[in-house]
Amino acid sequence: MDINMGDNNSMESLTFSWIAFFNDGKIIKQYEEGIEHRFQEVKDNLINLIRFSLVNKNFSICFTVELKNGFILYNNYRGINLEEIEYKENIRLIFFRRHQIEIGENLKQKNHTITYHLGFQYLDKLGNNKKIILQIDEEGNWILSE
Amino acid sequence: MSAIFHWCESNGAGEIETQDITNLNFGNLDTPNVNVTLYPVTRGQNSYSKYIRGFFTGTWTDITAIKFWKSLGNLVSGETIKAAANVSYVTPSKTSTGDSNIPILESTALSVNSAEGEVNIEYGGSAVSGYTAYIRLQLQSLISTTPGAVNQKTFTLQYDEV
Repeated sequence: MDINMGDNNSMESLTFSWIAFFNDGKIIKQYEEGIEHRFQEVKDNLINLIRFSLVNKNFSICFTVELKNGFILYNNYRGINLEEIEYKENIRLIFFRRHQIEIGENLKQKNHTITYHLGFQYLDKLGNNKKIILQIDEEGNWILSE
Repeated sequence: MSAIFHWCESNGAGEIETQDITNLNFGNLDTPNVNVTLYPVTRGQNSYSKYIRGFFTGTWTDITAIKFWKSLGNLVSGETIKAAANVSYVTPSKTSTGDSNIPILESTALSVNSAEGEVNIEYGGSAVSGYTAYIRLQLQSLISTTPGAVNQKTFTLQYDEV
């Protein structure tokens, strides 16, 4: 994967940022050339989205959802999907950041944790909607949920 | 960037809002960040009700699934915390709010709407203020409540953002 984030990364505040790949070769990076792209740009072109990655700041960790076949890759190796390979139709991206913000009585240090939820939903051969989602913490630890 | 969250508390008859409050102390005074040493809740009485809400600045696409609950801190005997979401602001008082006990699990958390009554806060949407609806809280005590300081509690607000 060729990744060039440019020189101006000071605006980045998230541990993981996204990169969206489309079937016409277009690539949108969340942080690119000093601007932050909104996810709305991906949402507006979901029908042409073929791959969606989350990468950490030094690019040592990369999670990718392949939307053509319904695979999840870790550092470009397929190995996270533990389910049996099965027929998948109408594969749709799932992505959001879950924030938990704490406040308390005399709580001087407020905690703000972010968990990245990345995966996809699809229809199986019986037409049942299924979901496969990774929950990724800010250290890159993950668990798989369905 | 992405969304930046701010805790806000409203007080007073004219609704004065304070952004970026530092605590959620319950006391015998209608003010943000109340000093409970100076203004403790009297046994058998209620604290002033508190009206808090979240405010989002920055940029995002959509904020959904906003929840609020008490995540840590045990209540002492005779102490309860009442809570309700999506209420209208009225001047805080010590009169019982009549609300239910605050949820203590994410699975039963209060669902919080936007200030405009929607289940999401869409960036740049028409007439979208960036505020959540109000969450009302009140500590209630009995004359039999254990004297002294109550346990520290932690409240959690959760939301999903893209």
